[in-house]
Amino acid sequence: MPVFPVAGSEKFANQPASREETLRAVGDSVRLHDVDHAVVDALDPLTYEVVRHRLTSITEEMGEALKRMSGSVVVTDCNDFDAAIMDEVGDVVQVGLYNTELAASLDMAANWTLRNRSRGRGINPGDMFLCNDPWVGGGLHQNDTSLFAPLFVDGELFCWTGAVAHQVDLGGASPGSWSVGATDVFWESLPTPPVKIVEAGEIREDIEDVWLRRSRVPKLVALDLRAKIGANNVAHERLRALCEKYGAGVVKAVMRRTMDDAESRLRAKLRELPDGSWTSVAHQDSARAGDRGIYKIVLKLTKDGDKLVFDFTGTDPQVDGLINCTFAGLRGGIMPVLLTMLCGDLPWAPGGIYRCIEIISEPGTINNCTFPSGIGKASVASAWATTNVATECLAGMLDTHPEHRKRLMSVCCGTWDFALLAGVDQRGGGFVTMLCDSMAGGLGARSDSDGVDTGGLACIPMGRVADVEMNEFAFPMLYLWRREEPDSGGPGRFRGGVGASSCFVPHDSPIGGVHLVVSAPGKALPLASGLSGGLPAGTQHDVLLRGTDVAAQFAAGRIPGSLTDLAGDADLLPAHHETDLGPDDVYYTHWQGGGGYGDPLLRAPAAVASDLRAHKVSQGGAEEVYGVVFGADGVVDEAATTTRRAALRRTRAGLDTEEVTA
Amino acid sequence: MSVFIDENLSQDDTGSVACRHCTTVLGVAAHPLRDARVRVTAPQTAGPSVRAEASHFTDREVVLRQTFCPECLTLLQSEIVPADEPSSRSRSVKVVGA
Amino acid sequence: MAYVIGIDIGGTFTDAFVADESGKVAGTKTPSTPPDFSEGFLTVLDELAATLGVGTGALLADTHYIVHGTTSTLNALVTGDVATVGFLTTRGHADSIAIMNLEGRYAGLGADQVQDMVRTDKPKPLVPPELVRELDERIDHKGAVIVELDEEGTRMAIRELVSAGAQAIAVSLLWSFRNPAHEQRVGELVVEEAPGAYVALSSDVSPRIREYARSATTIMNTQVGPRLRDYLRPLEVELRSRGFQGSLLVMQGSGGCVDSSDAPSRAITTIGSVLTGGVVGCTRLAAELGHRNVISTDMGGTTFLAGLVVDGEPVSTTSTVLNQYQLNVPMVDVRTIGAGGGAIAWVDNGGNLHVGPRSAGARPGPACYGDGGTEPTVTDVDLLLGIVNPDNFLGGRKQLSKELAAEAVRMHIAEPLGLSVDDACAAIYAIQNAQTADLVRKVVVTSGHDPRDFVLYAYGGAGPMHCVSYAADLEVSEVIVPLGPTAAVFSAYGLAASDIVLTVELSSPTNFPPEPAEFNGAFFQLRAELEDRLAAQRLRFADVEYRSEADLRYTMQLAEVATPVPTGDLDAAGLDGVGTAFGQRYEQLYGKGSGFAEAGLQLITYRTQAVGVLPIRPKLGEVGRSEGDAQPTSRRRVFLDARRGWQEADIYDYRVLAAGHELKGPAVVEAPTTTVALPEGSVGRVDRLGNLVIRYTQA
Repeated sequence: MPVFPVAGSEKFANQPASREETLRAVGDSVRLHDVDHAVVDALDPLTYEVVRHRLTSITEEMGEALKRMSGSVVVTDCNDFDAAIMDEVGDVVQVGLYNTELAASLDMAANWTLRNRSRGRGINPGDMFLCNDPWVGGGLHQNDTSLFAPLFVDGELFCWTGAVAHQVDLGGASPGSWSVGATDVFWESLPTPPVKIVEAGEIREDIEDVWLRRSRVPKLVALDLRAKIGANNVAHERLRALCEKYGAGVVKAVMRRTMDDAESRLRAKLRELPDGSWTSVAHQDSARAGDRGIYKIVLKLTKDGDKLVFDFTGTDPQVDGLINCTFAGLRGGIMPVLLTMLCGDLPWAPGGIYRCIEIISEPGTINNCTFPSGIGKASVASAWATTNVATECLAGMLDTHPEHRKRLMSVCCGTWDFALLAGVDQRGGGFVTMLCDSMAGGLGARSDSDGVDTGGLACIPMGRVADVEMNEFAFPMLYLWRREEPDSGGPGRFRGGVGASSCFVPHDSPIGGVHLVVSAPGKALPLASGLSGGLPAGTQHDVLLRGTDVAAQFAAGRIPGSLTDLAGDADLLPAHHETDLGPDDVYYTHWQGGGGYGDPLLRAPAAVASDLRAHKVSQGGAEEVYGVVFGADGVVDEAATTTRRAALRRTRAGLDTEEVTA
Repeated sequence: MSVFIDENLSQDDTGSVACRHCTTVLGVAAHPLRDARVRVTAPQTAGPSVRAEASHFTDREVVLRQTFCPECLTLLQSEIVPADEPSSRSRSVKVVGA
Repeated sequence: MAYVIGIDIGGTFTDAFVADESGKVAGTKTPSTPPDFSEGFLTVLDELAATLGVGTGALLADTHYIVHGTTSTLNALVTGDVATVGFLTTRGHADSIAIMNLEGRYAGLGADQVQDMVRTDKPKPLVPPELVRELDERIDHKGAVIVELDEEGTRMAIRELVSAGAQAIAVSLLWSFRNPAHEQRVGELVVEEAPGAYVALSSDVSPRIREYARSATTIMNTQVGPRLRDYLRPLEVELRSRGFQGSLLVMQGSGGCVDSSDAPSRAITTIGSVLTGGVVGCTRLAAELGHRNVISTDMGGTTFLAGLVVDGEPVSTTSTVLNQYQLNVPMVDVRTIGAGGGAIAWVDNGGNLHVGPRSAGARPGPACYGDGGTEPTVTDVDLLLGIVNPDNFLGGRKQLSKELAAEAVRMHIAEPLGLSVDDACAAIYAIQNAQTADLVRKVVVTSGHDPRDFVLYAYGGAGPMHCVSYAADLEVSEVIVPLGPTAAVFSAYGLAASDIVLTVELSSPTNFPPEPAEFNGAFFQLRAELEDRLAAQRLRFADVEYRSEADLRYTMQLAEVATPVPTGDLDAAGLDGVGTAFGQRYEQLYGKGSGFAEAGLQLITYRTQAVGVLPIRPKLGEVGRSEGDAQPTSRRRVFLDARRGWQEADIYDYRVLAAGHELKGPAVVEAPTTTVALPEGSVGRVDRLGNLVIRYTQA
């Protein structure tokens, strides 16, 4: 059934509001703390740096508190969470180094809450608001649940703190809330607009019950709720001490200046770059199980003086499926690359950074969808594709500058390779888990060096993969391998980082198999594009081999080293799929690398030889794509390479072989 | 003042864009790759990294579209995209006078 | 007379400390002599003997044991001057050490480096691909053999590695800690195919679950084992030729030592060797002074180290990060949290002042050294603020230039910010101290403690210049600056006062509680292994203590917590008690309500530590009592507190102070190896052992 407009949903179609609008909406129902510009101007370097450093360490402490307490492997292992300190209207002063997509939309949620929750029950000391409504903000899909808390000092709302983390399951048609068949949001987890779940320091039990009732793992979600309460409490305690020591006015002035500093330094950096515009496109194949479409997000980035305009005109309309994202997802998709490529040496203060950018986007498009479009995998679908297209445009801009080009990356691992396993473990307990192996995606090539092999994802500076042994201990599976995949890094003068693959068979399961949900596009076409002529990274590749002879091979003393070593019926899986694995079924999932940089025929032959030795490229890849020829001893044949490259230049351009289009 | 647009392209103060490897003029600021050579082939020509036929997953034709300097044949732009979709990739760096 | 000696070889200095049974102690130091550190070892022994007024031969003849802290293992790994290692692992999993759980891209980096993500990289591969071979074999999570070891293939792989240049072989197979049979067989095949080659098995070196860290640990152990063996053997021969009949012991990262004949096979345990001496010294001193909880801060010229003592024991960790690799090495948790006196002050392009984390290092060092450094460092600022006496740095061994320091501050900080040089220095000093407080706080809080329950010890050349300020910020109750006869060689004192510590562990992941028989059996096996190894130490112990712990976790949660296990066989109720202890410790670490008990518990690793208490414990002698008040030797203008600005302060010469003397801030105490800053509002008192005990009346 196609998406139809839902009357009453407009209230939640949040857009960032100006300070003035916010103040008007709040009126005199909540007193907001403010500080005079004079205090900001009068800050001495000592106080500024001491308090700024402390705000950073408080954000870190929040993240640590959340991570240690959480029970979700997505949080503890994959760092799919973040924490932030915001000012009194929600502008983000400091974001943690975890999943930066998430924290980038906390401002919208806190601000919406101010505008819509100040009256009635009101906003009071000791309150905390929970939200998993991506139309409001605070997360990119419903699994991202935020909890944000106003801090009052002397009766005034001084600032907000917020924590957000991916919850393993919040209901919906499929386990993990990953409903691969979804056509709209009603198949998925129910979005919850900001609700006061903690009042005057106490959890409201009735609200908590409403919240937990929807989940397949309510106890785990309850634990994560407490982890977020703990994170906010830690921050409040330390912020109060900071205000006592330096005065609330000074602390607020430091917050203002941190954002001002990020803004002014980013503007200064932008002024050093030439004006211009860069246009690109990011694709996604398949919007839901059974869908064979390809969808695009188009971005024209215009840089004018010290300002960036992100214009998404030309992007496809929202689709029936689970891949759309809301405006919060679009913004969240832009922020990670702004931070890593432009702000590596600036304070991570999105409140200041957002002031340098303008976004043009049509509601009703795939990355600015309206209710009730499906957004179940928004974070790794349209928000991720937004990151991809923003990466390419920003990298193009940076490439014009001799110094700033050192901080560009081609598009990193083009999508999230989602594989959810559920069933009964070897100890007889039920389990639902997301296999996080694909955190080890390849990073995009740089303008002066290769991308990092199995180096992570663009939006999470500090990802992690669990050891094979931990996965085999926790879940009923046995790995045939986990390895880097040759050729998966985008070819280029500088090669994109390679991705990797895992291949496993159910093992020791009391019910003889496991349930599998697959959601991984990038199969019809690669998603991590290259730069300056560099080629895209490889495609996503998932194969299910049914009824293999793996047990017989084990018994014969052999470990199959590739899919071709196994007998069985190969099923090339589509982007979205839900199925069961039997005891002799082997699942192979191969995730993507990063895009390349520059013409691969310009890559130093010695680097290709070294890649071949380290299995980063195959012999075929080295010869066909890089044009490097090796002698019998494996050493580069320089003369033959020169000849081969000269020939390849002509054949790949269509000379000597066929008619050429101009 | 001339600027480097990227690894392969430079633009002079008249807005003329040339190949950095062989100095052949390729276009102007608004259309830097105007005169470049474009070749469209099957995605598999990109090498072994394209693991499976696109037709397994989509009914649209997918192609590798590459753009070369017509003189030295350096690869200037690569994309793997639906064949029916005109290229969205472009750039235009503002001309800065001498 | 019976002596014990501690010798601590750092990159710059070789320190020695000697104690006899009567309580007589002495210390001395001499420059280190890289690359052959044993030269400095022998020189410092001569000097130590001279300090005692005896011949080296006489000293050595009466020495029961020498405890040696060495930086050589760590240095070898950092510089890559290691044995060429071939690596054998399970088919399909060779890339584990390249994938590095992906965390290898940022592990051990500071937040500023992590934030600059585009410029992060993984380290050089531990083993080049041509020296890695995969073997057909497989064991599962229960220890069951799924695929038999392919012996012919293994022989061929070993021969290939040797012909590719491998000098030593590291073996790490999946689940070898559950069932070491395949690894042991591979070890036998290495002996047959490559006789004489050093070989290490992961099931010996680190029988702990998680193959990435286990493999990295085994490989690094194999890289440094032969080197450590080749360093210790001739050194011991040399000592014997000079009359030494006692034991040569090597300090480990665990805070305890091990016989030099045992050290090379577990060489990786010595990587924390030089870092931990200070914390062990703090532990011993704290026992003398009756302090249960201590924050140990060691601020030197190039690093700032922080460690904790809780309930009289150093806080330990079960793993560490080196060169961005994760290693399973049980060791005292000493964290490097800053660049010490070498931290560079700088102004970013937005006009904001920062201190660190970049460091001027040992070369060129601070501007005031006159060795070519032009950027201002914390040491330069300490000099300009009047805290450091330029004529008394390192006991007068290095003359400092105020002019160079001032020029560096003026050019890089004062002028860009429109401040006077004085104000710029004041700001740098205050920022350094506040950041130190933030970082030390993180160490304490992430260990599950509150800094207000601690006493802070400050040592190292620069620590005492800053400690009162950061201690006040942390709200610790008291600051101790160890200044007795041990002060110059505090780490060497810690070495001489240490014990034999051996740790063995074994992962056997299971739901908790397992059957008591399984649980008790695991610890029985560990105990038997420890008894064998203790017997091999060639020492008589005053006592042997065993401490057992189990790493438990809530099933869904990441954090494993080492939980103490009572000695002796436990029944079901005893196991429940262990589970309860885990829950309490978990809440202490991560907060109330943080445990997800409904998910159930899992036991991952069993671990037992044996402490062989050595018969001689150096006693610290008391210093003389004071008669009358302390007399300042001079006064000078100093800046110690941003709120008070420049003040005239009393300057004391530590050498003429005596027990009972009280010194009121603002004051500066100049000792031969360090300088203590006492801001206004703080009072320092010399205790009976010559330490300065500082309290403050306001923060």
